[in-house]
Amino acid sequence: MHEASIALSLVEVVQDVLRENGGTRVSALTVRLGQWSAVVPEALHAAFPAAAQGTPLQGAHLSIVRVPGVGECSQHGPVTLELTRGLRCPVCGAPTPRLLQGDELELDEVEIVPSILAAELSRTRPAMAEEEP
Amino acid sequence: MTINEPAPRIVTVRQNILKANDHTAAENRRMFEAAGVRAINLASSPGAGKTALLERTLRDLAAAVRMAVAVGDLATDNDAARLRQWGAQAEQIVTGTICHLDASMVQHVLPRFELPDLDVLFLENVGNLVCPSSYDLGEAARAVLISTTEGEDKPLKYPTMFNTADVVVITKMDIAEAVEFDLALCRENIDRARPGVPVIELSSKKGTGLEAWYSFVRGEHP
Ligand SMILES: Nc1nc2c(ncn2[C@@H]2O[C@H](COP(=O)(O)OP(=O)(O)OP(=O)(O)O)[C@@H](O)[C@H]2O)c(=O)[nH]1
Ligand SMILES: [Mg+2]
Ligand SMILES: [Zn+2]
Repeated sequence: MHEASIALSLVEVVQDVLRENGGTRVSALTVRLGQWSAVVPEALHAAFPAAAQGTPLQGAHLSIVRVPGVGECSQHGPVTLELTRGLRCPVCGAPTPRLLQGDELELDEVEIVPSILAAELSRTRPAMAEEEP
Repeated sequence: MTINEPAPRIVTVRQNILKANDHTAAENRRMFEAAGVRAINLASSPGAGKTALLERTLRDLAAAVRMAVAVGDLATDNDAARLRQWGAQAEQIVTGTICHLDASMVQHVLPRFELPDLDVLFLENVGNLVCPSSYDLGEAARAVLISTTEGEDKPLKYPTMFNTADVVVITKMDIAEAVEFDLALCRENIDRARPGVPVIELSSKKGTGLEAWYSFVRGEHP
């Protein structure tokens, strides 16, 4: 299983996001996994804590959103595919060679705890005016 | 006044988790293209016959095509040693506990090859139908092998791997009858996993069906 490798890559990507946004740690994150991504959600859940250990993601809550496969049938338009039938329209059986969605292996959202400085900078003007009478 | 931790903020990212691998794969691809090398990634379940097919290919095409192999293996040097017997350079990539090749492992081994002196570089992946599917190595084409001794439903059990194939090779056709291999069913399942993908039936042992494979190796087919 390669979920351990995937979890490590995930931690790397999230740490980049944290740096770019001036955060101190991550409290939660959401990942979108397509049914055709070859990654098993349970296995990724299991691998995540070890990958996050000792990083600003330690203890973060991981949510995984399963994305079903959608193909395009020339007769029936976008159709939701069934993994066990392959890339075939579930209505008429015609091949749907291209996946419109379902191959996602992506980081969707990250909930970051901003650093004090970043929080100060993003504070609105009236709030700051109140502090200095 | 005590300083409390600021309230969390949600950042929308929508980024590929394997973007670092994809980036390295793009670098590999540029190197292959600059050197005029066709890189072919071979994936299959363990023992489907990747090394046997490469041995046969090295032997048959040696006079016409300049070839070398980088082969991923969890621990041993066996496959590389088998391949070197045929006079070609074969470099081992020890993957340790990792069950697939990734782009940086390939990048790491590339300096050992004189790429401009090659026409084809084979990348024999670790025997595994799941993990290698997610990792682009920078190859020009991906061949997925399935042997007649495996279940005909493999393509539907491992849809991602087969869905990324540029060609599917059915190996060990010499024993198809003995193991009651259902060729029509296997082809049907391959086409469900990857509609329209070219399928090549061959036997590395008996040497049948190899012409279509050699066309693919040379980049003439599909
Ligand atoms: N009958 C028959 N046996 C074959 C053929 N090709 C390979 N084999 C046998 O299948 C076994 C595995 O072959 P390999 O070439 O080592 O398979 P592989 O895919 O490289 O295996 P890993 O690298 O371990 O995943 C060996 O015992 C081969 O002799 C073939 O065309 N016909
Ligand atoms: Mg091998
Ligand atoms: Zn339809």
